[in-house]
Amino acid sequence: MFLVVAIFVIVYYYLKSGKIPYVRRVAGLDAIEEAVGRSAEMGKPVMSTIGIDGFNYWTLAALTILEHVSRDCVKKGVRILVPTGGGDSSYIVRPVAEEIVKDAYMLEGNPEDYRPEDLPFLSGQQYAYTGGVVGILQRAKPGACIMVGGHHSEAMNIAETAVLVGAITITSGTYVSNVAVLACASDYILIGEESPAAGAYLSKDPAQRASIRCQDIYKGISIALIILGTFVRTLGSSFFIQLLSS
Amino acid sequence: MSLLKSFNSYDSRIVYLLLFLIVTIPLLSPMGLPISVSPSTVTYYEVIDALGPDDLVLVVLDTEFSGYMEIQSGIIASMRVMVERDAKMCVAVSHPEATGIPELVFAAIKNTVDEHGYTYGEDYVILGYVFPNEAAVASAAQDWQGVIHNDFYGQSTEGTFLDQIHDWSDWTLISDYTTGIQSGSLINHFGLRGTPMIVNCIGVMISTQMPYLSTGIYQALLQSMRGGAELEYLTGHPGPGMTAMDAFTLGHYMLIVLIIIGNIGYFGTKENSRRNVE
Amino acid sequence: MKSRELSLIAMFLSFLVVFVPYFIDVPALDTFSTKLITITAITVSFTLLLAIHSQFKRGFDFVRRKPRGWIFKVYMMITIVLMLLFALGGLETGPYHWAMYAIITPLSSVNYGILAFYLASTCARAFKARNTKSILLILTGFIMLLYQAPFTGAFFDLGPIGIYLANTFGLAAGRMFLISVTVGAMVFGIRILLGQEPGVLGIRSEE
Repeated sequence: MFLVVAIFVIVYYYLKSGKIPYVRRVAGLDAIEEAVGRSAEMGKPVMSTIGIDGFNYWTLAALTILEHVSRDCVKKGVRILVPTGGGDSSYIVRPVAEEIVKDAYMLEGNPEDYRPEDLPFLSGQQYAYTGGVVGILQRAKPGACIMVGGHHSEAMNIAETAVLVGAITITSGTYVSNVAVLACASDYILIGEESPAAGAYLSKDPAQRASIRCQDIYKGISIALIILGTFVRTLGSSFFIQLLSS
Repeated sequence: MSLLKSFNSYDSRIVYLLLFLIVTIPLLSPMGLPISVSPSTVTYYEVIDALGPDDLVLVVLDTEFSGYMEIQSGIIASMRVMVERDAKMCVAVSHPEATGIPELVFAAIKNTVDEHGYTYGEDYVILGYVFPNEAAVASAAQDWQGVIHNDFYGQSTEGTFLDQIHDWSDWTLISDYTTGIQSGSLINHFGLRGTPMIVNCIGVMISTQMPYLSTGIYQALLQSMRGGAELEYLTGHPGPGMTAMDAFTLGHYMLIVLIIIGNIGYFGTKENSRRNVE
Repeated sequence: MKSRELSLIAMFLSFLVVFVPYFIDVPALDTFSTKLITITAITVSFTLLLAIHSQFKRGFDFVRRKPRGWIFKVYMMITIVLMLLFALGGLETGPYHWAMYAIITPLSSVNYGILAFYLASTCARAFKARNTKSILLILTGFIMLLYQAPFTGAFFDLGPIGIYLANTFGLAAGRMFLISVTVGAMVFGIRILLGQEPGVLGIRSEE
């Protein structure tokens, strides 16, 4: 309960004070822009997936990155494919993704270029969605495949197929089980919180940046507790173990 | 020269074909390679071996059917032991694809069930798809009687051993067979409240589940198909796990060979291009 | 009051009703919390109906326009209707049972099984000893692959080193992700409660 209250206070402080915390530019963003540029040169589309989860931490970051990728693609005249689905809650996210891509076309002055069939909802079932995405990759042969958001075991399928069709593959390893395989399979990987940090950097939203700052504070506290706990335990005391155990 | 180049870059379909052969041949014609039993499986076995007729176990099949193929051996071996110990089992699933799995498992252990006179309604109940999301897990943990009224077949659970369950504290053990769907919810609403938990998870989840084992939230962790095979070996009932271990072993060795071949090709072509430059 | 404020107030009250009983034992609140959670679970299940409606609405529009691949949309709508009809006939036996276990589960199992092939080709392609770090990674990989293969344990006891690697490096990585994800999820929840995520509430953010 203390943790939740503390987060509440920190986020509220940043929102009310108007300060926008500094978040460094994540290196993966350069890779994304390079991938879109390469697709423009080759005249190939870009595929961007936002994961199979509902509205959660990773999906929100993926939607922010999707907004950036969509604007970049429309600016450079590249077609963007955004297949959605894969999970029980994925249809809740789909309208938001659709609005983001539609808005990108409108804001860049090309509303007539928006095609609803470029955003197919494939299935709410994970492997039916995987089959659909792999099929789109094989047929469309995009120049880049940008997989951000909450991908589970289908990530390997999609990343490897993207590599086989010659697309630059940029993924985000949001679950530790996926990080190892995606690091091998993709050209560039955003590990763990790099994708929410990239989303926060792009959005310039004070709330998102405050979240990243909050997490950094908690990580600092965790590191301090680990060091202190190791030292205290070495001296024979189980104070921290009792304090932090459930 | 061309051999080294081909080691460095070859058609992936050759790898797929080799892997297909390496996995299929031992499945069709088992080699009977010996296996060793890891300490984690021994710990898991000790937990379920200690169960008795007064113990109430919530068995959660937290997997879709594709994941069931991997942890099938662990599920069957564990539930066989629970039947042998006459522990009372309540079987729930958390994915629509898993609704038929309890019947498949009980069919696989039918001999043991008949030998011990393990009866539906008295010794075990199948609830079906009752944990679709965390809200359902949370409400079942807080007020079981308020949430669970009927079993999978539509019959009332009143009059069964489930009358003794009111909240999380009434369960002796939560046995979770998971691909990660509701494992977090079960930890939040059962494990963290002190209900003993044991878990059988798929291979890619092992590293994410280890922290819970080391902090004592899990009493034991059975690791994927290999753990299931080891449990089959420990309990003396060979099954799908042990059958697959030959293919499992050869598949692992094939990965090592592929990495070595790839590196031979890499260093060979690197050396040749260096010589060509000189 | 605007709908946005009403939504936020309702959400915050619901959060308190579920959150407080977890830490403080208030029996009346406990019962109400359980009922609220049950209502939520039922409501979420009803969103499936919305999904089906959305699929059919888009499907009919797609078929009317007849772009490339429209026939697959027809096939999809027919299979949705068929599965619904099958399910009405009973889940344990009959055509629903057959469709689930003869079509859907083998197809998803095959897709899951394909992972092994992709993993093998990735290993063959990606694990190259380009520098010291990658050599260390490959050696660790070899040790873990040999440790995981059950046959190895019958001849070499790689248990101590395998368990050491899993319980130090593997555990550390797992814990790191757990801390990040947990704090991230909490922070995300707080942002929703503060009304900073209008998309989650279904409210269009003002430009």
